[in-house]
Amino acid sequence: MDCREYISEYLAGHADGELAPLARRAADEHVAGCPICRAQLIEERALKAMVRQGAAIVKAPADLKSRIRGALDEADRRAAAPWTARLIEFLAPVRALGSRISEPLVWAPASLAAAIAAAIWIALAVPQHDSVATIPPVPEFELAIDRFKQFQHEFVPNVPAEAYENETGAVYAWVINRDPVHRVADEADSDAFNDLARSYRSANLPDDLFDFMQAGYMIAGGRVDRLADGRPIAYTLYKGMAGQIVSLCFHDPTMAAPIGAVNWLGLRSFYEYKGYSICLSFYPTGHFISILITRMPVMQLMRDVAAADPSGISR
Amino acid sequence: MTRKSGTATDRRLAFEREAMPHLDAVYSTALRLARNPDDANDLTQETILRAYRYFDQFASGTNCRAWMLTILYNIFRNAWRRGEREQPAATPEEFDAEIEAHSRAADQSRINPEALLLNRTAGRRIELALNALPAEFREALILVDVQELNYQEVATVLNAPLGTIKSRVSRGRALMRKALCRLDQARGKTGT
Ligand SMILES: [Zn+2]
Repeated sequence: MDCREYISEYLAGHADGELAPLARRAADEHVAGCPICRAQLIEERALKAMVRQGAAIVKAPADLKSRIRGALDEADRRAAAPWTARLIEFLAPVRALGSRISEPLVWAPASLAAAIAAAIWIALAVPQHDSVATIPPVPEFELAIDRFKQFQHEFVPNVPAEAYENETGAVYAWVINRDPVHRVADEADSDAFNDLARSYRSANLPDDLFDFMQAGYMIAGGRVDRLADGRPIAYTLYKGMAGQIVSLCFHDPTMAAPIGAVNWLGLRSFYEYKGYSICLSFYPTGHFISILITRMPVMQLMRDVAAADPSGISR
Repeated sequence: MTRKSGTATDRRLAFEREAMPHLDAVYSTALRLARNPDDANDLTQETILRAYRYFDQFASGTNCRAWMLTILYNIFRNAWRRGEREQPAATPEEFDAEIEAHSRAADQSRINPEALLLNRTAGRRIELALNALPAEFREALILVDVQELNYQEVATVLNAPLGTIKSRVSRGRALMRKALCRLDQARGKTGT
């Protein structure tokens, strides 16, 4: 290692304690034998200390603290409310931040959120349990079951994980920008990240992604593949405490909603099929279908889909 | 389903114990990002509430401060992105211009003893240099040096690849040095 290499490649990491053991040993050795770089390292550490002093942590004002504690109390109170009330609240736009941040959001308008909530409410209030009438075999559903079983023990994502999920569980997906925790991909950032939604779109597939975090599911991986006849298909695996949801999205111009749905929610229909719960959605353009399949009860799937509604196709 | 076992009160207590100690860190960062106290207050409150709502998703044993700052940045990015917020010195060229402007101001401060005194304090000097950095370098440096996050945590908070963070820290420090030298030169010319 020469001085130039040390300074450009190692110095910062050395001062920050970020070098891997081998690199660290090499850096230590160089510094031990090189007074110039030794001085650089000392200076780098001094600079760190100066930044720490120059940009010190500021105490939050007392009135802000009490405002926040009040808001936490309020959140505790509301957590005791029934799920329908929470759902309506969840669908409502988040309270705007300060005046400068408030305006340019793309969250669903309150009226729309209320309408969706009402639609769910009506749908759930009038269950149409004709599941006794067994559905004749549906090839697409059979495919979904086959993949669901396969993915139980083996799912190999081929879309890079860091592209759509981070430590905090923030999901970088092209979902409704209702919740900033779920980082929404943005064209403005397009050079920065190649996220899951973008990977699907680049395979000419809709970014069929659901924000199931509220329901306790995280995106565990995404995979773009081809069906036997060459059609591209996107698989997304959602994992939660209660199990898994697999989504399949592909072009299927001939598919029509099978008779025997348990319920409907806009363009989505819900089925109980061979022990699985299935949500079938038709994308309004391009003859794409989306199938969500899970082992959890169909009513639960309805609730979670309603809360997650990604592209508004249940509107 | 998502809740860890325990009552709501346990959850609140755990949140108070693990998350609330980072309130000042969140507020400081919010202040730096929002650049006015009202927005910083709102940004802080939104961050804390969101962290509380998603507290079940926080992996205990990991860095809670990094987790909260990630939420803060996510809120900030989403809420702010479409706003026409001016970013100080976005490119290295603009950085040079900014530093020149500060240097000239330091030249002029010869006629203003009070300003001169202010500029001579170390904190003020660092602040001028930091504020002249392109935002991405400034953020990386502050998260590493002030918030004491590791590079991987910074990568998560800033939603950028690890390699990018490494180079931002390294280049950010080089730019800081350059800025401090320029400021000192300008002040040297004033004869102090
Ligand atoms: Zn050397």
